[in-house]
Amino acid sequence: MNVLEIKNLTKKFGDFIAVDNMSLAVQEGEIFGFLGSNGAGKSTTINMIAGLLQTNGGEIKILDKNIASHSKLAKMNIGIVPQDLAIYEDMTAYENVRFFAGLYGLRGAELKERVEEALVFVGLLDKQKSLPKDFSGGMKRRLNIACAIAHRPKLIIMDEPTVGIDPQSRNYILTSVRKLNEMGCTVIYTSHYMEEVEEICSRIAIMDHGKVIAEGTKEQLKAIITDTRDIWVEVKNTENLEEAALKEIKGVNSISIEENVIKINSQSEVNNLNHIIQFFISRLIEIRSLQEQAPNLETVFLTLTGRNLRD
Amino acid sequence: MKEVLWLVANSLRSIFTNKRRIFSYVLVPLLGIFIAFMAYGDTGPAKLHAGIVDLDKSTLSKNTTSFIAGLDNIKVSNVSQTTVKNKISSGTLDCAIILEPGFSKAIMNGEKPEIEIVSIKGAQVTAFIKAYLNNYIGNLHSLSTAANGDTAVFNTLYQNYKNAEFKVSAHSLKDTSKNNDMTIQTIGFLLMIMLNSAGGLSELILKEKENRTYFRLMSAPIDGKKYVLSNIIVNMVIMTIQVVVTLTAMTQVFGISAGIPFWEMTGVMMFFALVSVGLSLVITAFATSSTSASALQNLIMTPTCLLAGCFWPVEIMPKTAQKIADFLPQRWLLDTLTELQKGHTLGSLSLNLATLFAFALVFFMIAIYKFGRNNNVRSFI
Ligand SMILES: Nc1ncnc2c1ncn2[C@@H]1O[C@H](COP(=O)(O)OP(=O)(O)O)[C@@H](O)[C@H]1O
Ligand SMILES: [Mg+2]
Repeated sequence: MNVLEIKNLTKKFGDFIAVDNMSLAVQEGEIFGFLGSNGAGKSTTINMIAGLLQTNGGEIKILDKNIASHSKLAKMNIGIVPQDLAIYEDMTAYENVRFFAGLYGLRGAELKERVEEALVFVGLLDKQKSLPKDFSGGMKRRLNIACAIAHRPKLIIMDEPTVGIDPQSRNYILTSVRKLNEMGCTVIYTSHYMEEVEEICSRIAIMDHGKVIAEGTKEQLKAIITDTRDIWVEVKNTENLEEAALKEIKGVNSISIEENVIKINSQSEVNNLNHIIQFFISRLIEIRSLQEQAPNLETVFLTLTGRNLRD
Repeated sequence: MKEVLWLVANSLRSIFTNKRRIFSYVLVPLLGIFIAFMAYGDTGPAKLHAGIVDLDKSTLSKNTTSFIAGLDNIKVSNVSQTTVKNKISSGTLDCAIILEPGFSKAIMNGEKPEIEIVSIKGAQVTAFIKAYLNNYIGNLHSLSTAANGDTAVFNTLYQNYKNAEFKVSAHSLKDTSKNNDMTIQTIGFLLMIMLNSAGGLSELILKEKENRTYFRLMSAPIDGKKYVLSNIIVNMVIMTIQVVVTLTAMTQVFGISAGIPFWEMTGVMMFFALVSVGLSLVITAFATSSTSASALQNLIMTPTCLLAGCFWPVEIMPKTAQKIADFLPQRWLLDTLTELQKGHTLGSLSLNLATLFAFALVFFMIAIYKFGRNNNVRSFI
């Protein structure tokens, strides 16, 4: 069954098209990744799914029901973890979760049980009486998640839940996503961190300029780019590097430089490794290491858009 | 409705578990009473200045004079018959008590003595003195009946009566005119507090938008209408508490009698509560941020309160200012209360109430219209 189905969805802000005739489907039990750089239209799409923004065309179905005519059903079955924290700073962690869970009609003993369950899940039960203003960024993010899951939604949508937090909280959150999924939740996970999406998502849609430009499992996406390969050359210094000349070498598609590592994307069928090595030697640039990278989503994105994810 | 009640209960809980909020929503309104006291000088009930014209010049008439002087809250001076009228009309005296010749004799004979009480302040002032005098003279009559016309016996009885631990029960004097003014003053301040707290509570809508919780709420089974309704309910609850607490403290703790039955006054204030919510929703609907809403509130509320005579009698302002005040809901509210104090019934003031209601209605309609056009969720990035 499709938990979420989007058809020809469009959103305009004035003349600007933020979401452009987008279609996709998320099946029950998936961890579905939304990968795209900032401004790709991920949050806008989520806000329309959550019923916060009017659409300018197209339709959205949750559990096979159109959200325009079944908004209550849709809202009851969705748990949103917004990109911007939505918690009350003057209410304790417990009160925050309790408040949001209560909006979904939970009361009494059941409410109490679900609130505690959610706090245990995000590892904040021992902090339940503390105010979020004393929390670290990671703890706030976790509380934000607890507020979205206490009513046990079928579909949990997380919008960049790991932005700006410490690695430990980040791992905690990624583990939680998997656990939620094992418990039967369908999860839509939005990020511009390729590693995260690659790590936990069973299927991924790559978004750019309001469009889904590729969709599939990791393997399917990587298969798109078997015709290119990545060669990383670590050098002592990049001062004398003439990028343009490097690009001239036959078969080289694109180059990016990160500190002392030159990342070269090149066509697979052209054997140009000799030329590349020759390029560095002739310019007296000392090569420290040289390796060929297995394709990853970053390269997929780069190939599809000509840009880095984080640009 | 279940969701609305949940929102209401939650807001009220967060208000009443926060000392600072209790202070600003419940205790600050009481400040108005202190301000009223300050404005009217002495904190105790007013002293009444009575002049006594003793034309009988007997022991009994002198005793009567000292009886009156012994009453709480009354200052007595002997004045001559010729000056008394002047002193009353100039306001040096609040009233004059004239003991006609034959006062003593009439009492001894068990007859009603001639006492004239003159005042331009009306029955509110004289009724109190009359009541005490009647009581006093009644006692003297009992003595004279017991003495059966025997002057010596009467004098002995009278001495005993005087020496008995006789204490006039200390009913404080209610000079209603001053009390009425203090009531209006207190309520004037209360009006401003109500406007401000309604403004503050509606501003929470903008604050919630700014800190994003609003959008989180909207992704739950809550919509904008339910949310605003819950805000209105919280607002009305808070203002009801403010009104009841302030009026109770004013009448019960501070002993300012309003001259209007408590529930009538509360009821009229509820009309103004609606006006306050309506106005603050209009401001919220037009403001682009909570800061600009605050600024707009200050720009609108304080000056209109000043103009409408919330802090001083409207009569002392220039005629043009008074004309402008006629277009302000605060003026209509204060006017309604003043009329009630003068003894008009609520029924006869239905025009005033209808006007207040119309203010509220117009504000609500503007707010609803503007909210309806605001549906474009702002900056969602
Ligand atoms: N309320 C809005 N008004 C105008 N433009 C907007 C609004 N919200 C988002 N946008 C624009 O739409 C584009 C997509 O934004 P968003 O969905 O937040 O991207 P993402 O979440 O993928 O980073 C961005 O270019 C952003 O500037
Ligand atoms: Mg976003």
